[in-house]
Amino acid sequence: MLTVSDLRVSYGQIEVIHGVSIEVQEGECVALIGANGAGKSSTLKAICGLVTATSGTITFEGQDITNQSGHNIVRAGITMCPEGRQVFPQMTTLQNLRMGAYARRDDEQAIDLEEMMNMFPILRERKHQAAGTLSGGEQEMLAIARALMARPRLCIFDEPSLGLAPKIVAEVGATIKRIKKMGKTILLVEQNSLMALRLADRAYLFEAGEIVLSGTGEELQSHPEVVKAYLGH
Amino acid sequence: MIEILQQIINGMAIGGVYVLIALGLTTVFGILGIAHFAHGSVSMFGGYLTFFFVVTWGLPLIAAIVIALLVGLILGILIELLAYRPVRNANHINAFIVALGLTMMVEGLNLEFFGHEQVVIPTDFSWVFKIGGVTIPELRLYTILAAALLIAAMTIFVEKTKTGQAIRAVAENRDAAILMGVNVNTIPLVVFSISTALGVCAGVMVGALFAIAPGIGEGLVVKGFAVLILGGLGSIPGAVVGGLVDGGPARPGSVPHGGRNRPDGRNDPKGIRRAGPQLCNACGGLRDLGGGGLRVRHVFGQYPECGCALV
Repeated sequence: MLTVSDLRVSYGQIEVIHGVSIEVQEGECVALIGANGAGKSSTLKAICGLVTATSGTITFEGQDITNQSGHNIVRAGITMCPEGRQVFPQMTTLQNLRMGAYARRDDEQAIDLEEMMNMFPILRERKHQAAGTLSGGEQEMLAIARALMARPRLCIFDEPSLGLAPKIVAEVGATIKRIKKMGKTILLVEQNSLMALRLADRAYLFEAGEIVLSGTGEELQSHPEVVKAYLGH
Repeated sequence: MIEILQQIINGMAIGGVYVLIALGLTTVFGILGIAHFAHGSVSMFGGYLTFFFVVTWGLPLIAAIVIALLVGLILGILIELLAYRPVRNANHINAFIVALGLTMMVEGLNLEFFGHEQVVIPTDFSWVFKIGGVTIPELRLYTILAAALLIAAMTIFVEKTKTGQAIRAVAENRDAAILMGVNVNTIPLVVFSISTALGVCAGVMVGALFAIAPGIGEGLVVKGFAVLILGGLGSIPGAVVGGLVDGGPARPGSVPHGGRNRPDGRNDPKGIRRAGPQLCNACGGLRDLGGGGLRVRHVFGQYPECGCALV
């Protein structure tokens, strides 16, 4: 479904992604794990058109989307739930959710809105509240729901557990599992490697802008190097 | 009490003009983080253009305003594309300098095309409403209504339409807006065309109520920013409240008188403006000459009958 081949990304003169190749099949949950600054988020940003790729190609459902502008990639069917939630703070929860459906032109948006509020009852309670006044966990739920409002075929989560209390992290994990059950294709970036590997069908391990290891979630969970460096036991 | 009410009504017209200017500035600032200093001059350009269409081409006022609005829309788009877009990703000081330069350019164009003479857009609204002792000249009433209508339309546009929500979203979080599928290249064009159109409306109002002259635009934009600081940069409700507060009630002495008027007085049967008791521009006092009429246009020195020593 999504094929990234030999992707290179530079910020100014400094290359941060040195030829990365990733494959995501339909209905799969793929995780990118690795330390801070390993290049996971930059890879995602290149896929979403927020940064430009210096070389390599990105194809989605047979369509070349390399260096397309961000809004065209959303229309192609890829939505990202960004790192740090990035809700629109002064807009209400409802307005945030509606923004999620911005690229859609169908008339089923109201139905999806209901569905999202059934999925996340807290959002219904906070319906008319400014998103900036929600707690971190609530904002994360809002960001996930907002991403789903676009009815994406590929849903990208960038560090959904970042900066959240352990209890909420578990909740986020459960939510992603539910989304997976809905049949959505997921690309997940996490520093919480254990959670990511448990959720993922397959995973790639990033180190200093390169993929050093790949395999199924279980394989990586039991790989001695991963266990030592990332799972900490 | 009546005087206070009269002051509030008088203030509402100019307050409405301030709100329109401030709305244009606030949307541009919210989206692009630019202090668009040229806004006042562009707005005066709209006023001049309307005057030109009415006086030189003899178009009806409404038609003149509509054409001026269309020209304003195009001008707004050109300003965004040619002036601000090239410096969008640069340091903010660049946009600041561009804004200052643009102000001089538009002012220069105004001078070149329309001359240095002060002009007043002629209108046929000479009626005066008297409601319970409060005098409202027809023109002033229409200005207040038109401003209210535009403010309401703008609010509905931003709150209820997809494009309006996208404008807000870009203002609040540009990257997140891209991820929602908002085309961040077209949004600034929409913003500039709307803000310029609002500016043109404000220019027409100033031109009909008072007068347009070189330098007025700069004063107006300073006022617009004062209103914005009062109401909060980037906030639309703040701009409305700020404009109305700043509009007049707070400073009765400086409220310019209203009513229709022409430099040559041609529109004025018997040469008398039926505007009731009004504030005099020069002395700021309230004067009534009797006979239901008062002539104050000290700006032109043509109607010294108000008896004000300052004329």
